[in-house]
Amino acid sequence: MKIIKDKVSKLSFVALLVTLTAAMFYTPTASAHGEKSQAAFMRMRTIHWYDLDWSKDEVAINETMTISGKFHVFSGWPETVDKPEVAFLNIGIPGPVFIRQGSWIGGQLVPRSVTLELGETYDFKVLLKARRPGDWHVHTMMNVEGGGPIIGPGKWVTITGSMSEFVNPIVTLTGETINLEDYALDNVYFWHALWYAIGLAWLVFWVKRPMFIPRSIAVVDGKADSLISPLDRKIGIAFALGTVVLVMASMGATNDAYPVTTPLQAGLMRGIKWIDIPAPTVTVKVEDATYRVPGRAMQMTLTITNNGDAAVQLGEFNTASVRFLDAEVYEDESGYPDDILAEEGLTVSDNSPLAPGETRTVEVTASDAAWEVYRLADLIYDPDSRFAGLLFFFDEEGNRQMVTVDSPLIPSFI
Amino acid sequence: MSASQSAVRSRAEAVQVSRTFDWMILFTLFTAVLGGYHIHYMLTGGDWDFWTDWKDRRLWVTVAPIVSITFPAAVQACLWWRYRLPIGATICVVALMLGEWINRYLNFWGWTYFPVNFCFPSNLIPGAIVLDVILMLGGSMTLTAVVGGLAWGLLFYPGNWPIIAPLHVPVEYNGMMMTLADLQGYHYVRTGTPEYIRMVEKGTLRTFGKDVAPVSAFFSGFVSIIIYFLWHFFGKWFAKTDFIADDEL
Repeated sequence: MKIIKDKVSKLSFVALLVTLTAAMFYTPTASAHGEKSQAAFMRMRTIHWYDLDWSKDEVAINETMTISGKFHVFSGWPETVDKPEVAFLNIGIPGPVFIRQGSWIGGQLVPRSVTLELGETYDFKVLLKARRPGDWHVHTMMNVEGGGPIIGPGKWVTITGSMSEFVNPIVTLTGETINLEDYALDNVYFWHALWYAIGLAWLVFWVKRPMFIPRSIAVVDGKADSLISPLDRKIGIAFALGTVVLVMASMGATNDAYPVTTPLQAGLMRGIKWIDIPAPTVTVKVEDATYRVPGRAMQMTLTITNNGDAAVQLGEFNTASVRFLDAEVYEDESGYPDDILAEEGLTVSDNSPLAPGETRTVEVTASDAAWEVYRLADLIYDPDSRFAGLLFFFDEEGNRQMVTVDSPLIPSFI
Repeated sequence: MSASQSAVRSRAEAVQVSRTFDWMILFTLFTAVLGGYHIHYMLTGGDWDFWTDWKDRRLWVTVAPIVSITFPAAVQACLWWRYRLPIGATICVVALMLGEWINRYLNFWGWTYFPVNFCFPSNLIPGAIVLDVILMLGGSMTLTAVVGGLAWGLLFYPGNWPIIAPLHVPVEYNGMMMTLADLQGYHYVRTGTPEYIRMVEKGTLRTFGKDVAPVSAFFSGFVSIIIYFLWHFFGKWFAKTDFIADDEL
């Protein structure tokens, strides 16, 4: 019986090991970026991305595409997140499937971190060159020091072709054209192989002789000094001197081969230009706002005043990159990702044109499964239960005005 | 067989067993150091060792030697005082670099496709050989710490310069000047590593013009001396046999 038990135990252990080993070979592609996991208040009250355009849905290796649009740095930035005094325009992709050939904010190349001003709106563009084939979710992203990555909307882009065809030619200031993809790779391998061989030679010199037991006995017996012979010392000196000479000689030869080198470049870029947007002529006061948990809908009571000279209608509510549209006022034709576009998700109790000088209080409902799917409903569990977003008003000629809203949000569970 | 009888029947067999034991211990030591030292270096040196656009003339030169002299000092203490084997530093670094290359090639390149010329490890072997030879010649922890520790810091940058110099060639890019290493960091997108995390060229060392690398290397060497003492004591402490009862020895 004991033998059977032992056999069962052993086989079970082997089966466990086989299972664990097999699990290592299951490595599905990670295709999302945790955008749904980020705290809802952070997505709603920090960076608002809009007017986004992914120039292509499919690109071949070595072809380029752009992501462009605008982002508004929300003036009601939460206290629990550091202000965007040091921020970096990034791109949310699974590793370097594209290379970032350029990124601009307000027309300024931004390879480094920048300072952004609260309450301002910036235009941006990111130029990407396809490198690795596959279907990739490509997000806009703003990293904020002390705040973390603030991820924007993502769209699927397909890269076709073979990665072996990818090239990244660069012309240096010394006039040389190089392929950055594998530039100086042979040099890296050569020096590492050479030094590794020298290190191994030193080890082999010692490990080829009896080591632990006889040497330990000798040390315990007080014969430690006999273990290092004069020849060992000479060879040791040769290794040390050879090392120093090789280091110095290779450094000198390198300086001759590369007479022009510069230090790494770093620094914060300030004074980035924002868009000079005229103050909106529409004012909005949030009377109250509730999130109805069973209905997956946010309801706001808004008092809207039109101080302009043309009648306007509310066409869109944009929060955390989810867009709720009133289809009778505005239809999106930009190819915005379907999963974060509620084309008929905005309902206004009275959305007839608001005449110049008129004030009206309306009930606005933004409802869509995206509240749950994108975990915006989790706002009710956040430490600062407020919502925020952008309201877009349109006049008859299609002119658009953007108004920000920021207000406490009360959850309703019945 | 009684306890007083030998497990081997001849001198030749004893030698054979001893050599088998050598290889078993060596393999165990090598792989244990590879794992432990690798984790330690990734946690403390981390990005400075991962990416070319972190390998600057101030902080990389300063930080990498200081955090990497640890295991070599500790393993030297064990192998030298117990066995008079002056290979503690070299075996650590050879193990570390094997682990690093496996990691960089299989993970950084094979898994996430960062080019190898962007994520190769730093070269620590010159300092390790000199550290071992100084211990062998002097037989003194103090001498090894002071001379060897300083050499460890001083040899680091020139030992790596032939590898990184080609990537410090400047390039004009959309109206800005960068090095090729900067451009690698910009081109090859690291979603989780924004530019502001990069700690390069920071500090107050501004009175030496462009020649800050030697000053940084000296500072690194001085701190390496202190770290060497500390970890050498750790190594000695771990190499003790106090926990084995005398009658078992």
